[in-house]
Amino acid sequence: MDSWTFLLNGLWIALQPKNLLLCFIGCFWGSIVGVLPGLGPLAGMALLLPLTFTLDPAGAIIMLSGIFYGAMYGGSTTSILMRIPGEAASVVTCIDGYAMAQKGRAGAALSIAAIGSFVGGVFSVFGLMLLAPRLANAMLAIGPAAEFTILLAALAISIFAANGSVVKIIAMIALGLMLAMIGLDPLTATPRFTFGSLQLSDGLSFAAMAIGLFGVSEILMSFSQGLTERPKAPRLAEMLPTKREVKEAAMPTVRGSFIGFIFGIVPGVGHIVSTFASYAVEKALSRKPEEFGKGAVAGVAGPETANNATTGAAMIPLLVLGIPAIPVTAVLLSALTIHGIQPGPMLIAQHPQIFWGLIASMLIGNLMLVVLNLPLVSLFVSMLRLPYGYLAPTVLLICIIGVYSIKASAFDLSVMVAFGILGYGLRLLSFDIAPLLLAFVLGDRLEVNFRRALTISEGEYAIFLKGPAAQLAAAMAVAVMIGVIALKWRQKRAARA
Amino acid sequence: MSIRNGFGRVASVLALSLLATPAFAETYPTRPVTMIVPAPTGGGTDVFARVLAEIVEADLKQKFVVENRGGAGGTLGTTQVVTAKPDGYTIGFIWNSPLTTSPHSLNVAYTPDSYRAVMSIGYSSYVICAQPNFPAKDAKEMIEALKAPGAKFTYGNDGVGGTMQLAAERIFRELGVKVRGIPFAGAGETAKNFLGGHVDFYGGSLPPIIEHEKAGKAKCLLLTSAGRNQALPGAMGLSEINLNKAETVLWWGLIVPAGVPDDVVAKLERAFISAAASDKFRDTMAKQGATLRVLPGKATDALIRDELKALGEVAASLGILRRAQ
Repeated sequence: MDSWTFLLNGLWIALQPKNLLLCFIGCFWGSIVGVLPGLGPLAGMALLLPLTFTLDPAGAIIMLSGIFYGAMYGGSTTSILMRIPGEAASVVTCIDGYAMAQKGRAGAALSIAAIGSFVGGVFSVFGLMLLAPRLANAMLAIGPAAEFTILLAALAISIFAANGSVVKIIAMIALGLMLAMIGLDPLTATPRFTFGSLQLSDGLSFAAMAIGLFGVSEILMSFSQGLTERPKAPRLAEMLPTKREVKEAAMPTVRGSFIGFIFGIVPGVGHIVSTFASYAVEKALSRKPEEFGKGAVAGVAGPETANNATTGAAMIPLLVLGIPAIPVTAVLLSALTIHGIQPGPMLIAQHPQIFWGLIASMLIGNLMLVVLNLPLVSLFVSMLRLPYGYLAPTVLLICIIGVYSIKASAFDLSVMVAFGILGYGLRLLSFDIAPLLLAFVLGDRLEVNFRRALTISEGEYAIFLKGPAAQLAAAMAVAVMIGVIALKWRQKRAARA
Repeated sequence: MSIRNGFGRVASVLALSLLATPAFAETYPTRPVTMIVPAPTGGGTDVFARVLAEIVEADLKQKFVVENRGGAGGTLGTTQVVTAKPDGYTIGFIWNSPLTTSPHSLNVAYTPDSYRAVMSIGYSSYVICAQPNFPAKDAKEMIEALKAPGAKFTYGNDGVGGTMQLAAERIFRELGVKVRGIPFAGAGETAKNFLGGHVDFYGGSLPPIIEHEKAGKAKCLLLTSAGRNQALPGAMGLSEINLNKAETVLWWGLIVPAGVPDDVVAKLERAFISAAASDKFRDTMAKQGATLRVLPGKATDALIRDELKALGEVAASLGILRRAQ
C-alpha cells in the first residue's frame, strides 16, 4: 500500500463520530488556550491529559494533537488586537498585526492569519506524511555543534527582521542573552543571578516577560500618549481583507509554508525561529520594506503561516523515532505510554491506525479550525469597540490572568510588571523589543549547545565544522550573515537616496 | 503558682490532644485531601499519583485532589508540602529527586526531619547503553573498555545535579573510571543525540531507548539498579558486577509534613499500601515500565537518609555540592 491508501484508511478512522468529536474538542480547546495569553498548548494538553486515560490511544492522540495545532491558530488573536503575544510564536505578529489593527484593519489581519494558519497547517500535514522518515534522519544528524550554528544564524536573521538602528538591535539581543543567563548554569548547576531564590533557579518566565514587554508596556504607552491614537473599530463590511490585501498575502503564505516546515527540524525553538525567518524573508523580498513595522500585510501572513507549518515537522521525532524532542510531544508520548504503547522506530509499521488516523485527523482538524476561527473574527474585533477606558483595564486583566494561570506564581506577576516598565522605557527610546525576546528564548539553547559541543570535543573548536550537518549549518550561517549585511547596506543606501 | 498553672495548662492540653487524636483519626478524612505533585501533569509521577488517588478515594470515601506544582526540580512543590499545616489534609506524592538529589545543588529549606515518609511504591531503573558497534558484549567488557588506558568517552545524562547523573557518576566513581558527562534536557533529548552519534553512551530512563535497542540501534549494557529488568535482557544489574551498594534508581513515594498525628499517618500508610498492591495499579506501573516494590514508612525513611548521604558524597566529588550537609 502506498501513502495515499494508508491516508484513506486513516480518514476512515478519523471520520468515526467519536474521533471526529475528539478532534473537535481538541481543536476548540486548543483555540481557547491559544487565544488566552500565558496558557499555551503545553498547559492546555496537560490539563486534558487525565481525560484521555479512558480513551483508546488513537482517540487520545487525535484530541491532544488538536490542542497543539489549534493553539497555533489562536495565538495571533491577542497579538493583533492588544499587542499581547499569546505564544512565543506570535511575538512577530505583535509588530505588524497590531499595527494593522491600529489602522482599522484588525479584521483583515485576523482573517489573513486564520487563512495562513490553515494553509501552513495543511502543508505541514502533507510534509509530515511524505517526508517524515527522511527528515527524521536529518534531525538526528543535527548535534550540539550544528544546532548552535543554526541558532546563531537565527539571531543574525533577527538583526534584519527588527526595526531601528543595528547598534540598538544588537544591544537588545545582548540584553536578551544576558537575561537568559539567569538560573542554574546548565553544565555545573551553579546558580547565576538567582540571589538565593528557588523561583529564579528555573530562570525568568518567558510568558511573564513577553506579556510585560508587549502588553503592559502598550497600556503605559497609551496613557502617556493620551487617547487620541485609538484604533477605529471597523464596520462589518471592513472585516474581510480587500483584494489588494489578499494579493499581498498570497506569496508570503506560500513561502511561509516552506520556511515553517523546514525550521520544524530545529528542536524546541522551531516555532519562534520560523516566524522571525519568514518575517525577514518577506521584508527582504518586499518592494516596500519601509512598510514593515507599520502594518505590512506580508508581515502577518508569512509568520502566521510559518508557525503552523512548523507543527507537523515538530511531531516527526515522536512519530518516526519515538523521541519526544520537545515538551509538547512529551505529553503526546505519555498519552500513548499510559495505554501501553511505547512509540519507537516501528510505530508507523506496528500501529498504522495511530499514525494515519492522526494524519487524517490533522487535515480535518485544520479545516474545522478555519471554519471555527473565521466567524470569531468579528466577535473579537468588536472588542475594540469598547471605549478605551474599559478596554485598557480589560487588557491588563487579561495580562494578569494569563501570567498567573501558568504557575499560580505571584513572583511571575512582579516579573511581568517589571518588564512592562522596562518595555515602556525601551520603547520611549525607540528600541525594538522583539529581538530581545528572540534572544531570550534562544539564549539557553545557544549557550548549552555551545558548551556541550566543546565538552564533547574537549575544547576543540573544529567540532563546529565536523560532519555534514555542522558544515551545512555553518555554510548557511555565513550566507545568512552576508545576506543580512548586504540587505542592511542596501537599506541604508535607499534611505540616503 | 504561675509555673504550676502553666504546667497544668500544658498537661491538660496534652491530655486533650491525646484524647482527641484517636477520634480525629477515626473520622479522618472528613474533607477533601490535597495531594501535591511537584511535577507538571503528564509525567510518570503524575500518572501514578492520579491512579493511586482514585483507588484511595474509593477506600477512604473522600476526595483526594491532585494538585500539580512543578518548578525548580520539584523542590517548589515539596517545600509547599513540608510547610503545610500538619493535619493530614495536605500530602505530597513525590519522586526521590527533590528529597535526595536537589538538596545538594539547590538551597532548599527542608531536611528529612521536616517531613515524614508514609510509604513508597516502587522504582524505575536508569540504563547505560553503548553504540551498536561498541566493542563489548556485556557490562564487564564495557567496564574494561572504560578502564583501558587513554579511554575517552562521553555519555549523555538528564542534566547536571539530577538523579540520573548522580546515579551514573556513583557507579563510575566506584569503578574508578572517568566518562565525560554531556547534560541534556531529558532522556528524549539524550536519546536523539545518542542515536545521531553525538555522544558515545546513552544514560537515562528505559522507555525512550527500549524500542531502539530492539531495532539494533543501541546496545544496553548496565542498569543502575541491583537487579536486571526484563525489558532489556542484555543489561546487567549492579549485583552482577558486585556494586549493589551503588544502586540509585528513580522511585516514588508519599510524604506528609512532620507533625501529622501518628494514627493519621498509619491510616494513610495502610490505604496507600493496599492501593499500590491492587491489580489496577500493578497494571499502571507495568505500562510505564516501572517495578512495583512497596515499602512501608520506616523503610522508606531509611532509604531517603541513606540515599541523601551517598548522593551528597557523589555531588561533592563532582564539585557540584552547593551546601554543607
